[in-house]
Amino acid sequence: MTFLKRFDWLMFAAMAALVAAGTVAIWSAGNARAETVFHGMWASNLATAAVGLALYFALAAVDYRRTLDFLSLPGYVASLVFLVAVLVFGTSVYGGRRWLWFFQPSEVSKLFVIALVAWLFGRRRVPALDIPVDGFRSFLLLSAAVGAPMLLILAEPDLGTALTLVPAVVVMAFAAGVWRRGLVTIAAVGGIAALLVLGAVYEAERPGVSAERRELILRYVPLKPHQVRRVKVFLFPETDVTGAGYNLRQAKISIGSGGLTGKGIGRGETNHLKYLPQAISMNDFIFCVWAEETGFVGSAVLLALFAAVLACGCRAALVSQDGRGRLLALGVSTLVFAHVYVNIAMSIGIVPITGLPLPFISSGRTFLVTVMCGLGLIQSVTIHREEQLA
Amino acid sequence: MSKGESSVGALSCWVAAAVFAAGIVHLAVNLRAVQVTGAADYNYASARQSVRRVQTAGLRGRILGRGGEVLAGNRPSLSIVCLPASFEERSWSNTVGAIRRGIDKVGAEIGLRPALSEKAISRHVSQSLALPLFVWRDVGEREIAVFSERELEFPGFAVVETAERTYPCGALASHVVGYVGRDKGESQAGDEKFSYFTPEMRGRAGLESYYDGFLRGVPGERKLVVDARGFAIRGWTVVDSQPGPDLVTTLDLRVQRAAERQLRGERGACVVMDPRNGEVLALASAPGFDLNAFVPVLSPSTYARYTDDPAKPLLNRASGGAYAPGSTFKPVTALAALLAGYPSDEEYFCTGSFACGGMTLHCMSRWGHGPIDMRHALMKSCNPFFCNIALDIGTNAFCAAAQSLGIGSRTGLDLGVDRAGVLPDGEWKMRTYGERWYPGDLAQISIGQGMLLATPLQMACVVGAIGTGRLVTPHLRRDAPVESKPLPFSDEQLQVVRDGMRMVIAGEGTVRGTGWRAGDGVGVPVSGKTGTAEVGVGERRRKNAWFVAYAPSDAPTAAIALVVENGESGGITAAPKAGEVLKAIFGGTGT
Repeated sequence: MTFLKRFDWLMFAAMAALVAAGTVAIWSAGNARAETVFHGMWASNLATAAVGLALYFALAAVDYRRTLDFLSLPGYVASLVFLVAVLVFGTSVYGGRRWLWFFQPSEVSKLFVIALVAWLFGRRRVPALDIPVDGFRSFLLLSAAVGAPMLLILAEPDLGTALTLVPAVVVMAFAAGVWRRGLVTIAAVGGIAALLVLGAVYEAERPGVSAERRELILRYVPLKPHQVRRVKVFLFPETDVTGAGYNLRQAKISIGSGGLTGKGIGRGETNHLKYLPQAISMNDFIFCVWAEETGFVGSAVLLALFAAVLACGCRAALVSQDGRGRLLALGVSTLVFAHVYVNIAMSIGIVPITGLPLPFISSGRTFLVTVMCGLGLIQSVTIHREEQLA
Repeated sequence: MSKGESSVGALSCWVAAAVFAAGIVHLAVNLRAVQVTGAADYNYASARQSVRRVQTAGLRGRILGRGGEVLAGNRPSLSIVCLPASFEERSWSNTVGAIRRGIDKVGAEIGLRPALSEKAISRHVSQSLALPLFVWRDVGEREIAVFSERELEFPGFAVVETAERTYPCGALASHVVGYVGRDKGESQAGDEKFSYFTPEMRGRAGLESYYDGFLRGVPGERKLVVDARGFAIRGWTVVDSQPGPDLVTTLDLRVQRAAERQLRGERGACVVMDPRNGEVLALASAPGFDLNAFVPVLSPSTYARYTDDPAKPLLNRASGGAYAPGSTFKPVTALAALLAGYPSDEEYFCTGSFACGGMTLHCMSRWGHGPIDMRHALMKSCNPFFCNIALDIGTNAFCAAAQSLGIGSRTGLDLGVDRAGVLPDGEWKMRTYGERWYPGDLAQISIGQGMLLATPLQMACVVGAIGTGRLVTPHLRRDAPVESKPLPFSDEQLQVVRDGMRMVIAGEGTVRGTGWRAGDGVGVPVSGKTGTAEVGVGERRRKNAWFVAYAPSDAPTAAIALVVENGESGGITAAPKAGEVLKAIFGGTGT
């Protein structure tokens, strides 16, 4: 049985441990809330994980090439349809239309974009169109394939989710060798543009700047007021601790007061005394709950588990003999890494606050299933590493 | 690139792995900075936002009589409180509403009227959310029993035990003991670290007020953990509060009771002190009031009854009521004259009246006493004699002597109420009435009338000083230091007045003195002076009956001043009452 022989038990164990840690953190965060409906959230998280696990094994068992051949294009098209549908019929939560019935199409679409990119650019020539991967036309194709869902997600609006696609796609495009010279240029231009925006906000919001000057500068900054506020909190974390900076301040107090060994599971004070913003303590700020209750030891364990998952992802890419497999493993790993890095970094103020869930830990159901499916695909890459006869 | 090898290079995988590793390490390093290096700071920040320090009041010390009898003590009191955390709603107004509905429900179920306004609840929620809200203070046993039986039906309510002030002697010495009010504790210097202060008893009158700082307990400290909205989650005691010390007073309750019994139904005052050391044995003022009416809080209707009463029961007449002392002042006039060199044996011819600058003062004896010396003038309370000697020595000498006996200045009693009275002179009259000083004014005050005002306490000090030769500062705290000052009069001069005052009680031969009733049955020789002060004019003209005395005459251990408003005369109204009080002290017959 190649399946059992090649099954990556380390990655599976790390994932299972992360889901368990997440369930504990959700239990603690849910109990801190007054509404009893959240007290059982940990159980529904386990149920979701069970669904994710079923899909994980299914995707791991099937050769990923077949999955890509059969699912990547139809799935991609379906996710575009859902992204349009969510804009029309979606439920509005916290000022963004992100929910369609019980799931968030934007989360699912991330995986389908990665799958499509892997399927399109994993070989020397793009299937069906038969154009060389390293040409300019491939770049246009990539831009269109990634741009369409990103614009739809931006329209929700959900800048954070849209941006997490960027590193995954960039890594895959570089690895696949899509029009490298152009990509470098674009990356450079993008980086410079980001620095300019950051500099402009700094210049506008720094203490002692007159209101007129601030107004004048911000008129040319392509950010919405709440985004400017977040960047400002990032740049000047101590300026507004009761207003916009409250969340960051409380997040840092949570994490910092956890100390080396934490306050004990279910005994985090800032969480249970509701200083940590309740609305997002289970989702975007779940790391604070974990870090407060388990301390630096717990944080380090969590980082180690993520590191294990990412290492296994890289190993899968490395051992794979197939470009599609490598791209798939790199893409999913990068997606996970981007979420982990941004989520934890924003909790301690290294990057501006962005509404991104922490993979396996946050209570979002769609994202949990999505990430578990992604790991299932990596598992499949590990298991079906050799080119098989079609 | 051989067949089967990927179009995607392995280098990309290594680069990605390196980036991931760098990212994870970056997070680990920063987390370490926050969680290990910064832990102390963030722990402090966490505690600062979630821990409130509460200063708890210490048990108030008791006020005791000189024999250890409890005048003001503490008793356990059960109150029903509401814990706001159990009524948390999303909005503050809904929280207030939920608390109010809870109070209404509990009140209806156990038969207590809602005691708090919506505004009071709202104020508690906005200012003292973390503390329990006292809904019903000092609840009766029956209601507590009903509540305890059904406590599970009333979530968010609890019974707490606190201390209430209690006055076992009721109205006894009410003006001296005073009463307390409930105070929201306030920040003392250096107390800024506390967020809350539990309500504390604060003295409002009498010794409760004067010795408030002494009686107050040593505050303790509690810590409360509050959530982000300020609701208390749990609390613990850091430092226990300590009870305040007991205040032992000089009051002899036997004497105090006797004094109050003599004043029952009257308006007046009686002061008894030990002239050797200034210990006040009794300080009675009538009418009085029941101190327990002020516990737990004085009801507005009772307060209105007290303040609207024309008899002014809250007024301490003993040290705060300024009266014309009438003839009881004559010993002072006599001493002033002797000090100025007036010969003690010189006789004056009393015609029954004394004319002075357009006005005429009449004597007690309608047809005059005829030739009379100082001793007999005191015994018989001859008005013209004293008007004459006062005019003889002049205002300045007169006032200087009166001042040396404490007239016109506070006695220094350790009680908030200690009026100075009025010792008028030319300057005072010009300042107050814009009129110049006439000899008639001096004639008036020489017999304790006119503009002269003194408190019964001052007169007790004066008469005591005449008996002992030293003017003591009266005090109510048992272990207060004894303070006294010498008088400018010689022993011979004092003896003349003492002789006269002795005769006021004992008479001479078959002739009775004006105050004979005060010495009847006391058992020790008494020296004193009667007084009948006329106050008001026309319709409102009335007489205040005075009696002052010291006893035993040769070595005084008690000085007494007693005044009854609207009496007949000092000899008839005041002297027998003072006699009864003296019997209580010296154990004479008829008490």
